[in-house]
Amino acid sequence: MSDVGPHRPFELGGADLRDAIKRYTSNPLYLDNEEWENDDNPYRRQLRPQVVDHLDFDRVLGRAEVLDYENLAAHRILTTIYENDLVFFPKSGLADERKWSDFNAFYSSSNRVLGETIRPALERHSFGFLDDEVEVAGDWTRDSLEAYLRAVEDTPQEPSLSEQAISNSSDPERAARMWLIQYAPDFLSEASPMIRNVLGYYGPAQSEWFKVVIDEYGYGVHETKHSKLFEDTLTSVGLRTDLHHYWQYYLSSSLMANNYFHYLGKNHELFFRYLGALYYTETTLVDFCRRADALLRSVFGDTVDTRYFTEHVHIDTHHGRMALEKIILPVVDACGPRVIPEIVRGFEEFQVVAGIADEDFARQIAWMDAGPRNKQLHAPVWDAIRAGRVTAPVAHIVEPRGELSNTHCHNGDELCHIVSGTMRFVSGFDSYQILEAGEGTVINGNRLHGAIIESEECVYEIHSVGDYEKCLS
Amino acid sequence: MLVLTFAVSGAGNCVRVAGAPYVYARSRFGSFVLPARCPHRGGPLHLGVFEPDRPRLVCPWHERASSVTRAITAGVPVVRNGNRATAVFPHPPGTPHELTHLPLSPDLGGTHSQERPCAQR
Repeated sequence: MSDVGPHRPFELGGADLRDAIKRYTSNPLYLDNEEWENDDNPYRRQLRPQVVDHLDFDRVLGRAEVLDYENLAAHRILTTIYENDLVFFPKSGLADERKWSDFNAFYSSSNRVLGETIRPALERHSFGFLDDEVEVAGDWTRDSLEAYLRAVEDTPQEPSLSEQAISNSSDPERAARMWLIQYAPDFLSEASPMIRNVLGYYGPAQSEWFKVVIDEYGYGVHETKHSKLFEDTLTSVGLRTDLHHYWQYYLSSSLMANNYFHYLGKNHELFFRYLGALYYTETTLVDFCRRADALLRSVFGDTVDTRYFTEHVHIDTHHGRMALEKIILPVVDACGPRVIPEIVRGFEEFQVVAGIADEDFARQIAWMDAGPRNKQLHAPVWDAIRAGRVTAPVAHIVEPRGELSNTHCHNGDELCHIVSGTMRFVSGFDSYQILEAGEGTVINGNRLHGAIIESEECVYEIHSVGDYEKCLS
Repeated sequence: MLVLTFAVSGAGNCVRVAGAPYVYARSRFGSFVLPARCPHRGGPLHLGVFEPDRPRLVCPWHERASSVTRAITAGVPVVRNGNRATAVFPHPPGTPHELTHLPLSPDLGGTHSQERPCAQR
């Protein structure tokens, strides 16, 4: 055989990676929006390419950094790349020239290839921390795996931090709508990551996997497809159902939870982790959906359509059992015990991801509820800056009427101070404060927010104080 | 089989199963469930240190060295998630067990063990 030289795996890093990410995100589809919400155009998502030059995607984020802006940016991009594999139409069809053009641009070879080249680096950046979080050791057997997985059935579940945050919120309806919005990236295209593992040729477990998908897809009857049930839930509480209408209100951890399954499904070397994650989610969803049904009824009364959740209370009882007895254990029998640590790892990894999402959402609701207080906190923090007790980097900004700062977050606390004009400061869905000259607000680190100018011009300052509480002493 | 969850470090990092103590050890050779009592005379193996550059753990009582290679590759199956370890012991369900605390030597405590609040799990 002739010498072809050593194989060189694909790698992209450093300046080449930064340039490739800039090239992908600068597609006109992904530029900033002039409105808070996207209007029936599933191809438009705001990726804020103007800031990617300042972000380092060429390293693995630590566990303490997963709520930083880098991860929000990365998961917005990853969501878009993964969804290049899915088919979406606008509700209004494609007669509109712009939507037809966007359809072709989104699914173009250029867009897809540019996304694929940066995907491995972004996945390493955003999911690499799980290598440190979860570690599997010892001699796993089929019997020990089964005992370990069945133990989750006996683990009592408490209301999550998110559920508590909604119940205790000063505006439970707003909090519950924000909660449902977080699930839209997952539930409106439900089971799409799972279907990635239907393709191929791998024996009886493949057919069992397909049965789960058949349930998710409502047996071909559209009115019973799970995504349709979720649409009905959204509509019943006054929310829109066009895909990514609320893109700017997604938290990075919500995107991460959905992207995790795409990550496992897209990379078939992680197939066995998907099995573990699938079992965890199918098993725990029964209790979760039972509580979600009760919670939504307590918030909205009888007008809310909760069939999405009550359907899962029923069907996931079967799916948990099917995942274990018909898929996982037969796959172990077929492939051997070396795949077991991967199954265990997926089972634990999704718990890490779900836990982060739960805590992040609860903190976001606390942040939305604290809007008036954060506005009041401007005065003492501003006093500390003005008196020279605190010195922080400052950005002086002048913006015209209608300028919309698309949602983002900062890695530390900041103070927004209005010099002149009027700003609407937005801290989540249906959550805002009006800031006039001389006023402002504390902006907590890692909290999603944006702003729009409501005067002819607004002059304001952003002081990067790091920890606002240190300004109060 | 008996599935038990215990801490990796701090309070509750030792699980006693049928009277025998076990801890989760994080060493430079790998992580594993360590029977904390030396099989020789019951010394505190959780305070042992490794021979230089060898995966042999030396009991502080009589300096008896035991290889941990088998514990790493073929020991009690275990998964660590942050500061929580879940292990599957060969004992039947219902076997008496309790959580206690045992200090770990630097060689067994790992270098990047993280204490995390429950809410983050």
